[in-house]
Amino acid sequence: MASAASEEAVKAAKVLMVGAGGIGCELLKTLALTGFSDIHLIDLDTIEVSNLNRQFLFRKSHVGQSKAHVARDAVLKFRPKINISSYHANVKDAQFNVDFFKQFNVVLNGLDNLDARRHVNRLCLAAEVPLVESGTTGFLGQVTVHVKGKTECYECQPKPVPKSYPVCTITSTPSKFVHCIVWAKDLLFAKLFGDKNQDNDLNVHSKDGSSSKSDVFERDVDEDLDQYARRIYDHVFGYNIEVALDNEETWKNRRRPTPVYIRDTLPEETVQQNGTSRECNNGHEEPSAMASLGFRNPQEIWTLADNSRVFLETLKLFFEKRQKEIGNLIFDKDDQLAVELVTSAANIRAHSFGIPLHSLFEAKGVAGNIVHAVATTNAMIAGLIVIEAVKVLQGDYKNYRMTYCLEHAKRKMLLMPVEPFEPNESCYVCSETPLLLDVNTKTTKLREVIDKIIKSKLGMNLPLVMIGSTLVFEDGDGLEEDEAANYALNLEKVLAELPAPVINGTKLTVEDFQQELSCSINIKHREEFDEEKEPDGMVLSGWSAPVEKQVTSNGGKLAASSSSAHDTVGDASANPGTKRKLDEVLESKENCDASSSAQVIEDDDDTIMLDEDPTLLKKKRSQ
Amino acid sequence: MAAAAVAVAEPKTKYDRQLRIWGDQGQAALEKASICLLNSGPTGTEALKNLVLGGIGSVTVVDGSKVEPSDLGNNFLCNSRVNKECLGQSRAQSVCSFLQELNDAVKVKYVEESPGTMIDTNPSFFSQFTVVIATQLPESSLLKLDGICRAADIVLVAARSYGLTGLVRVSVKEHCVIESKPDHFLDDLRLHNPWTELKQFAKSIDICDKDPVVHKHTPYIVILVRLAEKWADAHDGKLPSTRQEKREFKDLIRAHMLNVDEENYKEAVESSYKVSVTPGISTEIRQIIDDSSSEVNLSSSDFWVLVAALKEFIANEGNGDLPLEGTIPDMTSQTEYYVSLQKIYQAKAETDCLAMEHRVKNILKRIGRHPDSISRAYIKTFCKNARKLRVCRYRSMEEEFNAPVISEVQKYFADEDSCFAMNFYILLRAVDRLAANYSRLPGIFDSEIDEDVPRLKVAAVSVLSDMGLNGTSLSEDLVTEVCRFAGAEIHPVAAFIGGVASQEVIKLVTKQFVPLMGTFIFNGIDLKSQVLAL
Repeated sequence: MASAASEEAVKAAKVLMVGAGGIGCELLKTLALTGFSDIHLIDLDTIEVSNLNRQFLFRKSHVGQSKAHVARDAVLKFRPKINISSYHANVKDAQFNVDFFKQFNVVLNGLDNLDARRHVNRLCLAAEVPLVESGTTGFLGQVTVHVKGKTECYECQPKPVPKSYPVCTITSTPSKFVHCIVWAKDLLFAKLFGDKNQDNDLNVHSKDGSSSKSDVFERDVDEDLDQYARRIYDHVFGYNIEVALDNEETWKNRRRPTPVYIRDTLPEETVQQNGTSRECNNGHEEPSAMASLGFRNPQEIWTLADNSRVFLETLKLFFEKRQKEIGNLIFDKDDQLAVELVTSAANIRAHSFGIPLHSLFEAKGVAGNIVHAVATTNAMIAGLIVIEAVKVLQGDYKNYRMTYCLEHAKRKMLLMPVEPFEPNESCYVCSETPLLLDVNTKTTKLREVIDKIIKSKLGMNLPLVMIGSTLVFEDGDGLEEDEAANYALNLEKVLAELPAPVINGTKLTVEDFQQELSCSINIKHREEFDEEKEPDGMVLSGWSAPVEKQVTSNGGKLAASSSSAHDTVGDASANPGTKRKLDEVLESKENCDASSSAQVIEDDDDTIMLDEDPTLLKKKRSQ
Repeated sequence: MAAAAVAVAEPKTKYDRQLRIWGDQGQAALEKASICLLNSGPTGTEALKNLVLGGIGSVTVVDGSKVEPSDLGNNFLCNSRVNKECLGQSRAQSVCSFLQELNDAVKVKYVEESPGTMIDTNPSFFSQFTVVIATQLPESSLLKLDGICRAADIVLVAARSYGLTGLVRVSVKEHCVIESKPDHFLDDLRLHNPWTELKQFAKSIDICDKDPVVHKHTPYIVILVRLAEKWADAHDGKLPSTRQEKREFKDLIRAHMLNVDEENYKEAVESSYKVSVTPGISTEIRQIIDDSSSEVNLSSSDFWVLVAALKEFIANEGNGDLPLEGTIPDMTSQTEYYVSLQKIYQAKAETDCLAMEHRVKNILKRIGRHPDSISRAYIKTFCKNARKLRVCRYRSMEEEFNAPVISEVQKYFADEDSCFAMNFYILLRAVDRLAANYSRLPGIFDSEIDEDVPRLKVAAVSVLSDMGLNGTSLSEDLVTEVCRFAGAEIHPVAAFIGGVASQEVIKLVTKQFVPLMGTFIFNGIDLKSQVLAL
């Protein structure tokens, strides 16, 4: 940039961009206008209306189309001579293997989730390609550089772990609105419209078993839809609360919830009157209960009766207009009807438990872990990414910076540049330090270790597990039938009963061939786990304990911790010893700011990512 | 009806992510705002692009130039239409046709005129706008424009990208912010000074209840109110204030724990400092209520009328305190206790707000305005944010250029972090002086770089001496570096500077957050940034 050498480096470079969202659109434009002429772009998303306030390469007419392709076409219109290859695909797909990554001079991330970021980090390490990583939340943003052997990798610093709630808080004793949202989204919505084979903690048995069905959520072919909707309403908000109330022990020192029945909330409305306006939906618009009931303001808090009307209406609309999707729906914050259902159900439940009700707008924020986003920050961050990428291409190692963009100028600085750190010697990703897993080897199945630890915590995609020289599990296609059957059997065995028994002191070797990552886990047998603090029944430690998030989302605490953060920020530049602190502090601060309920959020432009509920993470992965 | 509902809901969906930052009020302010952009190079168009995407009311581009081949290389907006077709077209027009594509809800207009000519010949043109964004404008024009905008009370945001450096400067006489949204602020719990209802509620709960379940679900507010009272009883009515006392107070809290894992007690210990906050109002708020503008008259703004009311409130109902904010943070608690506490805080906040409303009406009557001319919602927002009010006043550019605060300038030069920013500040002004003499920017011709370096140095020395800073030396490296930049508006820097400029416009228009208080200097070489208050 501004010099012949940098112009040459830019012209000759082949770059990979992962993500064509908020940062991605800006980045692609800035790359093209800086003279880059060979750009590859991967994104699996399609365009949503809520992208249009910042993802400026997209228009309303593009809604539903591939972000990668539309972004490519938009930029080629004004720079027809450069080469942009777009992939409407998941970066975790097998085609994007280490060899694929090796062809690039630099990889630029504009991602919105931890999972994909970790995956790209590993491939970049394996392919020895420098990575420029980025993220934004509202007015906050950051750009970091990761070069194998020279700087820390993306995972050298533990990322905050997602908040999870004890199951019983969600199923029986909610005390905050977020608990009701998690219930509505991960239990009720999943039960009604998701994969029927999924485990679900919702009670599905009807009163005294008089019904012929074993699952009250099943709808008979000839059952009237209004009838069905009311039956579900009474079951989940009425009967299930009555069942819970029977457990006197639970309520000894708690306020008892009130069962809610449709005959009480909407006494005057007969089955026929309710939902007569459905014809208004003429098929062109997305079905919406708010639209058909004439509710216009998403920021208004509905009464219990209105919530009940919305609930019944959404249920009916799903069956009438979106029948085909039932059975494989996953909650999506941009799905208006799904948000309406979750909002109304969470509110009715909140009413039962004496928790204040919330508007659709607020509920959507909680349910979708929505990170606010604005064009200005993305444009700024994209500019910084390109400046950093040019340095990387020129090998200008001494000038690499990790840069944090702040919301308020601190000590008169809006940007906080920090020199990159050395690789963390105990990082399990870029070094080979073993991890330690506390687990009850007599009761824990291999499946749980794979799902909750190897996939969820270690971020492996297609793991392989070895005990000594015995292969006990391998994932992926291309397995022989008998092997696959054998592994499937192993999955359901407890650790101590595997073909090579796992007991206290056993060392597991876990590998992911696609990511070219291998690490070892030492097992420590432990029998007791705290249900609230260690809900997984397993504790992974080792390279450095994950940052413990504030468990009780206490605003006071957050405020206090971030106020001390600012002092640290100010001092950081003066004293190199505190730089590390700054990094941590900003990262945690970002998470605090981004979420009112202290769920952990990815620091990204667009969305969510880390959900407070592990089951949802699982779903996201399988997408 | 359904169609109407969808039509209302649609823009909300589009702006959903940003509504979560500045809310409906902020969005409404943006939609009412009209922005004028001077010069539609990459920096200016980047700034406008961000605002158009966000749904700003209207934009007017003033630019007299034609699209040149160099624009095709670095300005996205020009060539949205098929390539070279727009060569030779009005750049303003070309930029506008692209901006309009981004958001059809925004009114996009252009005037084919050079900004310099507009400033010289038609100063009243600018009075129709909410904000003027002046990009890549030389110092002489900028000075004139600042005078025009100040006289008409228009907000001016100046932005410039220059090679790997750039600056953004806000200029307006006074900008009052109610929702300053600091990213950390202590909860307004009044634990040091609980009012009757809160005290009564705390009393109604037995914090020595031996039932472990009740004990571990008593909210920390109650624990702290009760124990603070206990402490005061034993210490002549005083609350813990020294470090030693604060430690002892924490021990007192811990002594009430039945079990080590009681979250609510842990929270009480961690929040114990909230008992020791300094009573009364902060110095910042004191300064605002003591400002001469709080003596209001018919021409006073709503903000200052509210400040006048606030001053009366503090002296009367407030007993030295501000209106209560009325919200409490999440905490470990039984639901009923928590809900009761919420109601107690809300009720007190409402009473305070009502008292303020009453005072506002009286003041309005007194100064000859209609008593209902300030809305309830405005008063409520003001009360909720009373601790966070900010008044930003900017010196005019003329004052800054002719009478810089020498002590500040010297401080910046002496400080390692801000020294580079001061260097760039001087050099960017020197560049304009050189350009005025040679009719071109330094470094444009490779063959003359060697001559331009000393020329730029001479110009920089003259800027320094005008500022009264004889003998201050600049970094030779930076002088050479700035010469090499040759005034290039490179895209990554333009995206960054344009981004910062549009972010400032958003803060100024929504009257939320605190705009940058001085000249923001960006150094793209090592990504440092600094705000210079000169």
